[in-house]
Amino acid sequence: MALLEIKNLCARVGEKQILKDFSLCIEEGTVHAIMGPNGSGKSTLSNVIAGNPAYEITAGTVLFKGKDLLKMTPDERANEGVFLAFQYPVEIPGVSYATFLKQALASKMKYLGEKPLDAMHFIKRLKVRAQALGVTDEMLKRPVNVGFSGGEKKRLETLQMGFLEPDFCILDEMDSGLDIDALKIVSDGVNIMREARRSFLLITHYQRLLELIEPDVIHIMVDGHIVETGDKTLALRLEEKGYAGYR
Amino acid sequence: MPAIDKIDARTGIDLRVAAGCQTRHEAVDVEGNYVIAVEEGARYEAFFLMRGQKAQIRVDLLGKNASCDLKVVYLSGSGADNILLTDIRHVHPETFSDQTVKGVLAGTGQARFDGVIRIPFDSQKCEGNQNHRAVLLSKDAFVTCTPELEIYADDVKCAHGSAIGALNEEQLFYLKTRGIPQAEAQKMLIQGFLSEIMPADKIKLIENWMDAHE
Repeated sequence: MALLEIKNLCARVGEKQILKDFSLCIEEGTVHAIMGPNGSGKSTLSNVIAGNPAYEITAGTVLFKGKDLLKMTPDERANEGVFLAFQYPVEIPGVSYATFLKQALASKMKYLGEKPLDAMHFIKRLKVRAQALGVTDEMLKRPVNVGFSGGEKKRLETLQMGFLEPDFCILDEMDSGLDIDALKIVSDGVNIMREARRSFLLITHYQRLLELIEPDVIHIMVDGHIVETGDKTLALRLEEKGYAGYR
Repeated sequence: MPAIDKIDARTGIDLRVAAGCQTRHEAVDVEGNYVIAVEEGARYEAFFLMRGQKAQIRVDLLGKNASCDLKVVYLSGSGADNILLTDIRHVHPETFSDQTVKGVLAGTGQARFDGVIRIPFDSQKCEGNQNHRAVLLSKDAFVTCTPELEIYADDVKCAHGSAIGALNEEQLFYLKTRGIPQAEAQKMLIQGFLSEIMPADKIKLIENWMDAHE
């Protein structure tokens, strides 16, 4: 069954048209990767799916689990199961990571009509995942994304993802600014989440990430839409020849 | 230095912090005239929460190493007009003052903050800092801020700053992508904004105010 179905999507920022007749279908339990040169619209796509109000949708449809995603607010999308791991996680001074995660989980439980987790279960749920990603208690007491290194921020994004258990995860250039060890930790954090009902969309420039998180399908995106779709050999070909042939 | 005296006065007072003493003053809904005299080596620390009152606070720093640290949070919702006037007088050389004022306005709320730091000719080697920041949650809210430095001495350090704006859209979006609805996200950001100067036991008052002004 299709988890996410994007049809003929057009989106712009100000006067600049970025997504042009973009279509993509992601089945349940699959991992898709989108590769493309700078400025091809990859980050716009992830922002549009998450509901960033800075982007204006001018045409097209996006269905998530059969529901009209474009009619939902960003928090509704999140609580329906969409998760965007940010390329540049936003700093929020004065709000501790633990408070933030507690509020996020409580919001989801409320949306789903479930009882909120008590403090004990919350801590347990958090600790297990934090340990696997090398996130310490001290880090969780600090304000959200303030004063963390690039690698720590990406580990914390991965922690949020594991903690909130979304059905669809978009990883926007998860590999940018990561050293090899951090990339391995983050990739393990993603791979452990792969299961039959959960899908992923990896946005990346490099083949390296796709060696660690093996995708089922690879798309090449140029100038606002997908120009080629294939299996993982596509990434290898790209590594050799670059994007020159697509422009 | 003697143990800190804690006082809690809501309506205007005359207060003298005797030489070498240290006083902490916390109050909610302050209004009226406050005149605080700080003697040599003494320190006056205050936290005030205002919710639509008018208060005038004057601090006289009277002796060497007298210092004050004034922290004020004001909240102003529809129908409210919060007025805060501060007047810090560095009467003696080598005296020190800090002021941090943070405001949150909602609906048609209005606010005014006028803050004066005075350093006369003979008061060399003084330091005075004043910082004001306000967040407007609505397009109809209005705030005016007039920082004033009256400095006649030539060997002093003084700084003032004021920034007024809406909540950061990127921060709001980030919180929402984690499933947190608009009203909750705003509340978190406001608490984050105020937590730097708010005593932890008063944060609940902010939550209540935000709930009443959604």
